[in-house]
Amino acid sequence: MILLRCPYCREMRSEAELTWGGEAGIMRPADPAIASDTEWTEYLFMRTNTKGWLQEQWCCSAGCGQWFKVERHTVSHQIRQILRFDEAFSDVTIAQEGAA
Amino acid sequence: MSLTGSKRRASGGHIDRSRPISFTWNGKKMQGFEGDSLASALIANGVGIVGRSFKYHRPRGFMALGAEDPNAMVSVRDAHGYTPSIRAGQMPLAEGMEVRSVTGWPSASFDIGALAGLGKPFFGAGFYYKTMMWPNWSWFEPIVRRATGFGRPDGSKESRAAQHQYQAVDVLVVGAGPAGLAAAQGLIGSGLSVLVAEQEQRPGGSLLWEEAEIDGKPGIAWAQDIAKEIKATPGMQILTSTLVAAAYDTNIFTLVQSVIDARGIAAERHITLHAKQVILASGAVERPLLFADNDRPGVMLAGAVRRLIRDYGVAPCKQLVVKTSNDSGWLTAFAAQDAGIKVVAILDTRPRAEAVHLAQAEALGIPVVFEAAITAMKAGRQLRGLTVSTPSGVRKFACDGLAVAGGWTPLIHLACHRGAKPVWNDALQMFTVPELPQGWQASGGVTGCTSLTEALGQSLQAAAKSSQRQAKATPLVKAPAFGGVSLIRRPSGVPANKVWIDHQNDVKLSDVEIAVRENYVSVEHLKRYTTLGMGTDQGRTSNVNGLAMLAHLTGREISEVGITTFRPMVSAIRMGTIAGGHEGDLIAPRRYLPADAVHRRLGADFEDFGWQRPDWYHRPDASDRDTAVALEMAAVRSDVGIFDGSSLGKVEVTGPDAAAFLARFYVSDMATLKPGSVRYSVMLNEEGVIYDDGVVACLGPNHYLAGPTSGHAEAVAAHFERWRQTEWPSSRVAVGNVTSNWCSIAVAGPRARHILAVLNPDFDISPAAFKHMQVREGSWQGIPLRVARVSFTGELQFEISVPSRYAEALYETLLKGDAAGAPRAIGMEAWLRLRLEKGYIHLGSDTNGRTGPTEVGMAALVAKRQDDFIGKRSLTLPFALSDEREQLVGLVAVSGKIEAGARVLAPGCTAPPCKTEGYVTSGCDSPTLGHPIGLALIERGFARQGEEVTLYSNGRTSRARITSPVFYDPENERLRQ
Repeated sequence: MILLRCPYCREMRSEAELTWGGEAGIMRPADPAIASDTEWTEYLFMRTNTKGWLQEQWCCSAGCGQWFKVERHTVSHQIRQILRFDEAFSDVTIAQEGAA
Repeated sequence: MSLTGSKRRASGGHIDRSRPISFTWNGKKMQGFEGDSLASALIANGVGIVGRSFKYHRPRGFMALGAEDPNAMVSVRDAHGYTPSIRAGQMPLAEGMEVRSVTGWPSASFDIGALAGLGKPFFGAGFYYKTMMWPNWSWFEPIVRRATGFGRPDGSKESRAAQHQYQAVDVLVVGAGPAGLAAAQGLIGSGLSVLVAEQEQRPGGSLLWEEAEIDGKPGIAWAQDIAKEIKATPGMQILTSTLVAAAYDTNIFTLVQSVIDARGIAAERHITLHAKQVILASGAVERPLLFADNDRPGVMLAGAVRRLIRDYGVAPCKQLVVKTSNDSGWLTAFAAQDAGIKVVAILDTRPRAEAVHLAQAEALGIPVVFEAAITAMKAGRQLRGLTVSTPSGVRKFACDGLAVAGGWTPLIHLACHRGAKPVWNDALQMFTVPELPQGWQASGGVTGCTSLTEALGQSLQAAAKSSQRQAKATPLVKAPAFGGVSLIRRPSGVPANKVWIDHQNDVKLSDVEIAVRENYVSVEHLKRYTTLGMGTDQGRTSNVNGLAMLAHLTGREISEVGITTFRPMVSAIRMGTIAGGHEGDLIAPRRYLPADAVHRRLGADFEDFGWQRPDWYHRPDASDRDTAVALEMAAVRSDVGIFDGSSLGKVEVTGPDAAAFLARFYVSDMATLKPGSVRYSVMLNEEGVIYDDGVVACLGPNHYLAGPTSGHAEAVAAHFERWRQTEWPSSRVAVGNVTSNWCSIAVAGPRARHILAVLNPDFDISPAAFKHMQVREGSWQGIPLRVARVSFTGELQFEISVPSRYAEALYETLLKGDAAGAPRAIGMEAWLRLRLEKGYIHLGSDTNGRTGPTEVGMAALVAKRQDDFIGKRSLTLPFALSDEREQLVGLVAVSGKIEAGARVLAPGCTAPPCKTEGYVTSGCDSPTLGHPIGLALIERGFARQGEEVTLYSNGRTSRARITSPVFYDPENERLRQ
């Protein structure tokens, strides 16, 4: 079970108290009307489906209700960064990825 | 091993001879002692045949004493409940237990089904696939179901408690054998919280039956001392009779603890455990050897024989032959001789053995034969002797017991649940997991280690690493080693159909040969084609032998063949334990309407729609549903009805940007909504599919009330909130779900205004002042009051809301009516049929995961919008514009009924199988119109008005004409009254 500390309410919560919201950093085209079919369907459907480090959206749904961002290893569930939604991920690379 | 008489020795073992326990076996009274398992007690009482095999009903005896035993499945009734099938070795004996064999009829020892020896060729590898194809599987299923399986549930309710617990520890130690105990001892004083889980009823593991001296103490005394020390250390616990059943991501484990009292298993605890670190000390189980007739009762694993003698004080036979590929067999021979069993011979598959063992055998006068192969067994209902081929010729031995030792299989299941890869170690002849999951360490038998000194050393190293301390010194150990193991070989000179690999599922060497011949050469295919290892023992004793034979037959190494996937649970656990308290009324919480008590008093028949809602009301004039629904509908059409719609979603959206915010969600432009007005619309997801529908009321500047559907209130509020936070964080908007704060009672019908007037609201409710699709706020006797003039029924309708705590008062007041009469209480069924007559969609019934606004006739609304809203862009993608899409239309019956779910057949088709072009989404007999009507999603439906179609449902066909979805008052005159 994944345990995350919400960066807003600072509570440690288990997966059951949280909602997973898929990959982070999915940009909605600024003006959908002029987006091409390809741009729009990329936005709708295309995800990296990473085996490894993935930046994701999570919601403290049974707690304070805030959406936040997490960098998680999809194989080991190791957590590298937890950020408020308006914060940017820092570009960390841990030398020993194998330790994940 | 003879069939009758007591096999209990006068002394020895860890049973308490001063505490006898009575139990019955197939109705026959027997006696065991405290500390016995069911298996040891049955063997002590001379039970040799405990069950029958799965396919051929061959007699089966005890092969092992733990979860690995393929044979000894029994049913047990104790004081706390009935267990239809459990392995006898896994159940501690308790007073009054009624134990029965679960296979064989009329009994395990005399089974008529054994005559299905006649059926032998019938049950070969792949028999399900080959034999039961014609005419079809369902013809065979009842026969196969009756003939197979272990045990039958008897329908009784257990009094045994099932509890769910959650725990978190620093270190989980799996197993309280020597390795697990040493690891735990190494953690004493570290300050870490530690849980040691042991599936057996006593700690000690192999020290309960192996000869060992540790730190100058007998091994078991050393183990008991450590167990005491652990129990006395704060933060450390040792749970016996506790199975670590499964390992999941992030080191979450499922443990099942059996709470045992003098009369059986009183309770079971399902413990979900989070562990920061794990020391896996789950040990290893012994494997049998492959030879002719190796499934006979009386053939037992060598380690199990040692355990019977030393742990349970039972001598299973009088004359024992030992057949071994490593030193385990020799140790059994010496233990047996010491217990007064005559050891007839030691047959070693290897060309030589340890000098020290040879010397001891010679001293005890035990004949030894190297490179020996058993070619035949003499056995009826009991073993009588065997024929052995040796390099110096054929020999025969008389015996009533045969102990076999074919090497060890580490219990790596839990690590494999987490994705660790089993790797074949050819020198050790076993699969181990060299790379463990993060935070895991392993010690003892599970690593392939067979030396006690080495195991204790590994454990103390692991403990040191976990606690980041220096390792404690390894204790001084005196114990025999097990030596090298010879390779697993195909037995030579014996027919393959006499060599049993999986004793539970009756898989023989000949079945593996068939599978290979038919090219099922992947392990996963072999498993499914032959059922090898698919039994309740999960192939603990059979998998490796089967893989070795597959490797041999395909000319590969075992490392190339690999092993099948390990999946939770490691051993069967009770469904009742998984369910815990979640049964009956406790499965899920129920949601009740705030005026629930009134509906009960009125005789409502309830349905669960997420909320407990009245479906229809019993009345003196309506004792059945159809009558009631028709009368309720008639009341709304001709007079007035009252309906509790309190579950309807209510989400308040406020703030300077509220209008613009809402406009982004709905197909209709909510930004143009004026205070006091209400607008109906649908909301899409970003893929352009209808996500929800409902009305939005503008209560004032910057103050809106959205009304999502009942089942969607929480989801829509969360949907608003997610977009607010993540896409438009600078919007000055607040979203609040107030669904439960307000009740909502609808009055509908030509006299609805008269009933509303009963409340004497402090605003003008005349038709000119309060029009359709308007909302008013005021007060009712000082209580906040909101009234929306909207309609779901097609009649004049008011939805009246007050804070929920006044729901009963409001409903009762309205229900009294006026001088002209009282409104009739309306249930869900009548309400939904009224809206169907009017052609209003019911979200989720009349829409599906592909339905967009165009398909429900809202294309014009979409076209009118200049600005963006969620999902709009998707409406111009090619798939949205396809003219093959199913469009919502009305249906009027030409002949027969219109049933929801009926398929609409393609033109020219009269019955399936054929192409279908849609389905009926709602359907009913309309009492107002006097004929069946329906809504349907049909390909190109809009262009097919007037066309007749054939409907197919549950074997019946009917004919209907495609029409407009609005059947009642298409001019909306009644809404304007």
